[in-house]
Amino acid sequence: MRFEGTLDIAAPRDRVWSFLTDPKQVTTCAPDVQSLEVTDPHRFKVVVRAGVGPIKGTFTMNVEFTELEEPGHATVVARGQAPGSAVEMRSTMDLAALDGTRTTMKWASDVTVSGMIQQVGARLMQGAADKITQQVFSCIKAKLEAPVTA
Amino acid sequence: MAVEIGGIGHSVKRKEDARFIRGKGKYVDDVKLPGMLYLDIARSPLAHARIKNIDTSKALKIPGVVAVITGKDLVPLNLHWMPTLMSDKQMVLPTDTVLYQAQEVAAVVATERYIAADGVDAIEVDYEPLPVVVDPIKALQPGATLVREDREQKDNHIWHWEVGDKAGTDKAFKDAEVVVKQDLYIPRIHVSSIETCGIVASFDKVEGKLTVWMTTQAPHAIRTVIALVAGHLGLAEHKIRVISPDIGGGFGGKVPVYPGYVLAIGASVLTGAPVKWIEDRAENIQADSFARDYHISAELAAKKDGTMQALRVKTIADHGAFDAAANPSKYPAGLFHIITGSYPFEKSFVEVDGAYTNKPPGGIAYRCSFRVTEAAFTIERLVDVLALELKRDPAELRMQNFIPPTAFPYTSALGWEYDSGDYGRALRLAMDKIGYAELRKEQAAKRAKGELMGIGISSFTEIVGAGPSKNFDILGIKMFDSAEIRVHPTGKVMVRIGVKSQGQGHETTFGQIVAEELGIPVADIAVEEGDTDTAPYGLGTYASRSTPVAGGATAIAARKIREKAKLIAAHLLEANPDDVEWKDYKFQVKGVPAKSKTMQEVAFAAYTNHPQGMEAGLEAVDYYDPPNLTFPFGSYICVVDIDRGTGEVKIRRFVAVDDCGTIINPMIVEGQIHGGLTMGLAPALYEQITYDEQGNIQGGTFMDYLLPTAMETPNWETAKTTTPSPHHPIGAKGVGESATVGAPAAIANAVVDALAHLGVRHIDIPITPWKVQKILKEKGVAE
Repeated sequence: MRFEGTLDIAAPRDRVWSFLTDPKQVTTCAPDVQSLEVTDPHRFKVVVRAGVGPIKGTFTMNVEFTELEEPGHATVVARGQAPGSAVEMRSTMDLAALDGTRTTMKWASDVTVSGMIQQVGARLMQGAADKITQQVFSCIKAKLEAPVTA
Repeated sequence: MAVEIGGIGHSVKRKEDARFIRGKGKYVDDVKLPGMLYLDIARSPLAHARIKNIDTSKALKIPGVVAVITGKDLVPLNLHWMPTLMSDKQMVLPTDTVLYQAQEVAAVVATERYIAADGVDAIEVDYEPLPVVVDPIKALQPGATLVREDREQKDNHIWHWEVGDKAGTDKAFKDAEVVVKQDLYIPRIHVSSIETCGIVASFDKVEGKLTVWMTTQAPHAIRTVIALVAGHLGLAEHKIRVISPDIGGGFGGKVPVYPGYVLAIGASVLTGAPVKWIEDRAENIQADSFARDYHISAELAAKKDGTMQALRVKTIADHGAFDAAANPSKYPAGLFHIITGSYPFEKSFVEVDGAYTNKPPGGIAYRCSFRVTEAAFTIERLVDVLALELKRDPAELRMQNFIPPTAFPYTSALGWEYDSGDYGRALRLAMDKIGYAELRKEQAAKRAKGELMGIGISSFTEIVGAGPSKNFDILGIKMFDSAEIRVHPTGKVMVRIGVKSQGQGHETTFGQIVAEELGIPVADIAVEEGDTDTAPYGLGTYASRSTPVAGGATAIAARKIREKAKLIAAHLLEANPDDVEWKDYKFQVKGVPAKSKTMQEVAFAAYTNHPQGMEAGLEAVDYYDPPNLTFPFGSYICVVDIDRGTGEVKIRRFVAVDDCGTIINPMIVEGQIHGGLTMGLAPALYEQITYDEQGNIQGGTFMDYLLPTAMETPNWETAKTTTPSPHHPIGAKGVGESATVGAPAAIANAVVDALAHLGVRHIDIPITPWKVQKILKEKGVAE
């Protein structure tokens, strides 16, 4: 499945960049994070609880930034497993500064889901993915657009 | 008298139903032993992946988890691989690579079923995904992803098998006036028995004896397999007892050995505690052996007058990751070469290539005697394609070509010797019963009004009763079967047989065979099967072999008893044995009906007053090696109406005329046909398992895997002709699978017939409303 879209964020590009490429910050917007373990600046392991409809699983995701071209382009590969299910995501983002205070993020994500969640939840997958995407992006917007605190 | 006896031909009520309808059947999951542990299996979410690591530590910390077993644990025991029945091998648990989704990866043994499931959830496996191949045609192309790295041969080709006269067939095609060709796909489907598979393994460390209760259609073969596979662990065949208790449907799906069985046995041997494994429904559909999955290209050569001359068939058989079919050793494509069907082709050539893919293993004979459904569907569909080509009525074209009744025993172009048949009689009866001529008139009138109605025929010939020892074995064990009969002093009888009912009603029908032969009421005859400690050795029940093979053994064992009984009767009647005859279920002095002895009187004497010099007792054993297979046949006619709006196919009528030779119990035969027809309807219109490009199963639960219910099932109309098998001791041919084999073509032919005037020649099954509606739209007739 491929998902893509654009998102306008009322924050300068540098700030958006540093937020989205920092495992500690970006995972605050991931759904239901159970734990985070940063291996090195490019790699981290995050445990999230996610699912489709009633079929939920705890996914252990190994995430790697495979391309980091500051301040505009990044590729991230996330591979994870829950009991009986597996997921692989390859995502890219390109940030363009609209002006000094606004940024446009173009993003795309190829997601492969296998196992129980795919088998039982295939029909609900699109809706569930849209919902998660929306939650994640509104969280990112809210955090980035909030006034900077000291 | 005859009715009291309840011998052959009587609709005796099924003895086993007394317990089934009261909920008193005893299935594997009803076996509960003190201290029993439960096993559950972690399965792969990916269709092809390298296992980098399996972390069992969290699972082992769960209170109640006794053990976690991975492939590496099985290596020292040499149990990580096991042989299949087809000279291939299959992983019990993988050590480094998984080859299909839902493959077993690790097992958890725990004190409770739910704790075992929690343990499975806590196992963490680090997979590295590998490229996946799910299409057998792509799998056979050069450079395709290699499924089986363990093999020396570095491609996905398993075997090539061919039969017939290639040069002669090619020449016949070259010279033919008319050639029709049709590609067809017989989809991958799955046996969906009411009861899933399961086992309770109990190893007694003191006695060194293993007892297993197991859902198996072939308990003796399983005992031998355990002894051969695990003999090095000290399991000898006299210390292994396999019990098949009541089974809720088998249909071929309970012939193979699944990894879960091996794991439960291993866990019991290691822990010394009984271990139970019962798979759930999703595991059953996703991981157990599939059926069909044949990609067929078939050609038929004929004269312009419709005379069929030659048949040429090329097939690719998708076997998944392991060739775990359950065919007789000599026939990797089963009895697919019954594909010449009911017609006297002069020349024929069939070739089949097996392919590995990243899909679950199998290729079992789902309620069909080893690929006979694939064969019957192909030839019966192809005959209709020829009828369309020649603009001939499909019934008339069949009548013109049938092997005539005078030609039996008939040797087919592919080498089978058909025992007996009268195909024209069966088709005529079906046509009369359904009112064929009137239906054709109605169809013409409806077509004029734009309504879609179709009539489909299937005049199939089956091949069952495997089989004669000269050609048939499984793992080298010849496919005879057996019966042991003991007549007790009071005239009651114990019959033990080497086969095993999964719902067929053996306790009744085998009792009826003995009742007929010995003149003892069927109520006084107990039939036992499925316990290897007591039953004589046999190869089990599948491929409609119980009546043709074990039924033969039963009749002959009973006749051996009657021979001895005759001598005792003569002794009691103070007559010369030559003057004693068996008449009206009694021994009589010839011409003096008043001087007679019943079998019960003889039985009592066998223990109390037997002739001097004769062994006491009255019992016999027979191991029956059938001289030939049997060839049941039938003609089915189906009438369908098609909804031009939704594309839905409605079966208006379905007449099934079956000929299974001598009928033991008409009621049971009718029940078998009803069930078989419904199982034939299923793949015709509903059932199929598909996979996406990643190897994800698309029909892995009953949410997506569509089975017909009472709502979808039409009113079956059955009738029979009786053409006994000349070589079978009671003339029976077997009936368990005829309807499954014959029905799909009748339904598909009816749908194509409804659309033929629009230029439609073939639709692959399952014929779903979606497929039909697409055609209606293309042809501009959708409402």
